[in-house]
Amino acid sequence: MKKIWHIGRLDLKLMVKDKAFFFWVLLFPLAFILIFGNLFGSSRTDTRASLTVLNQDRGKWGAYFIRKLESPKIELAVVNEPPAEYYRVLVIPPDFSTRIERKAAQEIQFLKDSEADLKAGAVADTKITQAIVKLLAELVMYGNRDMKAFFDTRNPYRDLVSVHTRLPKDTIAKIPSGFDHTLPGILVQFVMMMVLIYGGISVMEDRKHRVLARILYSSASFAELFGGKLLGRLLMGLLQSAILVAAGLLLFRLNLGNVWLSSLNIVVFAAAMAALSIFVGSVLRKEELIIGVSMLLANMFAGLGGCWWPIEIVPPAFRAAAMVSPAYWAMDTFHKIIFFGKGFAAVWPNLLVLLGFGAVSTALALRFFKVEE
Amino acid sequence: MQQKILEIKNLGKSYGETTALANFSLDLAPGEVLGLLGPNGAGKTTLISILSGTLRDFSGSVAFRGQDLFADRRLKNRIGIVPQEMAFYEDLSALENLLFWGGLYDIPEKELKRRALELLAVVELSTRAREPVKKFSGGMKRRLNVAIGLVHRPELLLLDEPTVGIDVQAKVSILDIIREVGRKGTSVVFTTHQLAEVEQTCSRIAIMDQGKILATGTLAELIRIVGEKEIVEVSGEFSATAFSEAIPAPSGAGIEILSVSDDFAMLAFADSQDIPAMMQRLFAHRLHVADLKIKSPSLEAVFLKMTGRSLRD
Repeated sequence: MKKIWHIGRLDLKLMVKDKAFFFWVLLFPLAFILIFGNLFGSSRTDTRASLTVLNQDRGKWGAYFIRKLESPKIELAVVNEPPAEYYRVLVIPPDFSTRIERKAAQEIQFLKDSEADLKAGAVADTKITQAIVKLLAELVMYGNRDMKAFFDTRNPYRDLVSVHTRLPKDTIAKIPSGFDHTLPGILVQFVMMMVLIYGGISVMEDRKHRVLARILYSSASFAELFGGKLLGRLLMGLLQSAILVAAGLLLFRLNLGNVWLSSLNIVVFAAAMAALSIFVGSVLRKEELIIGVSMLLANMFAGLGGCWWPIEIVPPAFRAAAMVSPAYWAMDTFHKIIFFGKGFAAVWPNLLVLLGFGAVSTALALRFFKVEE
Repeated sequence: MQQKILEIKNLGKSYGETTALANFSLDLAPGEVLGLLGPNGAGKTTLISILSGTLRDFSGSVAFRGQDLFADRRLKNRIGIVPQEMAFYEDLSALENLLFWGGLYDIPEKELKRRALELLAVVELSTRAREPVKKFSGGMKRRLNVAIGLVHRPELLLLDEPTVGIDVQAKVSILDIIREVGRKGTSVVFTTHQLAEVEQTCSRIAIMDQGKILATGTLAELIRIVGEKEIVEVSGEFSATAFSEAIPAPSGAGIEILSVSDDFAMLAFADSQDIPAMMQRLFAHRLHVADLKIKSPSLEAVFLKMTGRSLRD
């Protein structure tokens, strides 16, 4: 184990010594984070839903209904004239009170701007539905009593009903977006890219210069040499992750959800990439070729796997195809942990798939790993 | 009798139909510096690869101090190998390289650093110890290559063409290091195709060609193979065929052709009185002789006699 650590640690040291190290592992991914983070908007800006109510009612029931819409989650604006601009507006008709008192059918309009935030819209929808349910429940319980006396302060049916809404189990509560999505996405992409490029090239160079063979001149076994190389590349992936997580926490208030579970996801994913990089460096003999293939694989897996945009918004067929990408499983794990608050029970199948990728890559790497040209 | 440090018996290795080593046997006493002399393709690197454990699938046996070299991996901790290639990390400094390579041999950290600094002084790299190796000259890199093979203080040091591609000054420096290592009691085997290197450095010489040992002995013992003869080198404008016709081999009891090629021939004369007669025969066959050198018997003559070809071929 000591030799594995000795060999692995050196590969990490050589990566850090590279002049372009900070550009590739920090500045370049930060540029990606800024582009994609802004492209898909931030989820933090719309936590309060704005709702304009055009109250045309000539009685008391309109105002009573509006009171039921009040909530800390709603930014309520009551107007008497149709607004020129709005995200969403609820129109209470002039005969609202008359129809309630007559127990006649009622029609209220809810208008939305198509550009408005979907999440905020869902909050407003829910609040309106809750208000309607409350009002109807009170009216049903009030029965055939005198409608004029409803607003009497002694009426026990006033503000009697409260409605709680919750989503059915396993409902996707929010679409991953903004930096919360982009940071893990770019992290996954750059772990792939950096481990494949640095890891692949160094395996090829070490073989070409007989450094691998020379390690075996010592009492180090083949297993220790291979294990050391695998560990070195895993450490490269973890270092890349640590740098981006640190930058994410400092600059973008990164939310990793359950930190331990997210960290486990990173370790398992980096391990799979470590083995893949040894395979790439073992079968390819030229630096340019390794860079080209690594870029292609990393970007293809990233795009397909949902690193650049939320996989939840792509068509089902694309989503099914994305499953061939290890990035998909890592991103899906992140989404489950960060956005949907899931625990180990929900993500272990994903981690198992990633371990499977790692096992296949390790088998391929072992099959083609040579110490000499 | 002192136990041999290395005993190689009937080693055989083929690559397809090409035989790299055939019934190769050799042994080495403690403290001996053995030069393994052979032309390119003689099987020297194959031998080093087998001894280093990176080449498998061979016949025969190799014992290190009486134990099968490949039965216990820990024996490798007692052997140092210097490959022909500059096998180290060019982005690291010389000191970092020695600490990495030494770290593979379970040497305590403090002791390793002490040894590394000491070795850097021996190979005259102390002043550049912390510079990236990629800034070094070829000779400095070669010296570091040797130092890496020595960092764990091996009992046996194997060097594969340690002086390839460097200038004379660097070559002398490396040969000095090898001599010093041998003087301190480490057994050394080094392969080369430079006659002068083995003449200057080795206590024993083995001549190999086509995967076989042709002769072993001290320089004096090997020279006795060609006998107390005068060695004559003839150069001029002639073909090998024309020369052989003029001086048919064997050309009588006193003259022996050691080697002949176009424009160059090497002959051994039991009696230097026969040299004018040879010249007359060459003139009679209208062969143009530009230069004629009379030398004492040398390793080169022995090599030519044993292999029938020059190391340059």
